[in-house]
Amino acid sequence: MGLEYVKISPGFERYMPRDYVDLVKMGQFGRQVDVMDLGQFKELVEDHPMCAGCYMAYFIRIFYASLPNPEDTIVLGTAGCARLALSQAAVPFIYGNYGDTNAVASGLKRALTIRFPDKHKDVVVIAGDGGLMDIGFGMTMHSWFRREKFTTIMVDNEVYGNTGGQESGMSPKGVQLKMAPKGKQFDKINAVELAKVAGCVYVAKLSPTNPKRIAKVIRRAILAARHFGPTFIHAYTSCNIEYSIPTREVLADARNREKKDFKFYEWMTDEVKEYFEEMEKKEVKA
Amino acid sequence: MYFVAKVKEDECAKYNCKQCVLFCPEPNCINFLEKKGTAWVWPDKCKGCEICVYVCSDLLKRNCIEMVMVQAGD
Repeated sequence: MGLEYVKISPGFERYMPRDYVDLVKMGQFGRQVDVMDLGQFKELVEDHPMCAGCYMAYFIRIFYASLPNPEDTIVLGTAGCARLALSQAAVPFIYGNYGDTNAVASGLKRALTIRFPDKHKDVVVIAGDGGLMDIGFGMTMHSWFRREKFTTIMVDNEVYGNTGGQESGMSPKGVQLKMAPKGKQFDKINAVELAKVAGCVYVAKLSPTNPKRIAKVIRRAILAARHFGPTFIHAYTSCNIEYSIPTREVLADARNREKKDFKFYEWMTDEVKEYFEEMEKKEVKA
Repeated sequence: MYFVAKVKEDECAKYNCKQCVLFCPEPNCINFLEKKGTAWVWPDKCKGCEICVYVCSDLLKRNCIEMVMVQAGD
């Protein structure tokens, strides 16, 4: 972690893989990139084995492009689709056991605060609906009750995609899946309200249809977590395999869901609001 | 033999819009060449999902990207 670990020692450039040299010379380290400049710099995440047209992969791509300080960030994931892409990026990645990501992140964040008292080290958890709201529910909630200062992002594909299509707590009511042939009997968990009640200071819900807005939400969630407390983003990232969405229609589906139950929603406490307003004023002046 | 996206560069250069680059799920798969003002696809990285075609043809009605078959070694 840190810029000095990223740079190539003088004289070794020609022995390093081309991708790595590109990453240092044309990547995101040590500078702020605008997410709208995608395609004109070397991205942190590399080729990954996620399915064609996966919008979870898309969300992760935008996530890495919008990190405020990639060289000072640690990402945590757990079993599920997301870790396939998360582990292919030039940002340290820790693989928690299923469900304990938020407990690991709590310890990590505390340790980093003691080790680097004069620096901000960001810890971000990205896990699926199973990892955070079903199996990891207790640890997720308790990290919020303890007001641990890190960001939790739920990439919600509404199904256990890796293991053949079992229903999860986040699947919508009535949906028929390969291993839920009678249709789901219960409602989708309202994760956003749970996060608000449990003590998160910044909560957002979105469907990935607008890269600029995703980047803004992710930056805000990470910056708010540095100073105030836990933050939570609930992102809809469809599973085009288990929900049988033709890959060409994936974005259309995301836009469709945005009109229904994934309308953009952002909530923050008054002190966080004040902080962002002041920050935006400063940015305008600069 | 597999299916990848291909940008019609002459037509793409007319618009300077970059929307396909912003909606591709693969990192550095569709890139943007500022000099020519056109997007270009790195065929080795393309998985053929056609989201860029949806963005370019269905949403923007510009029809600058088509899907083509490529052979190994092309």
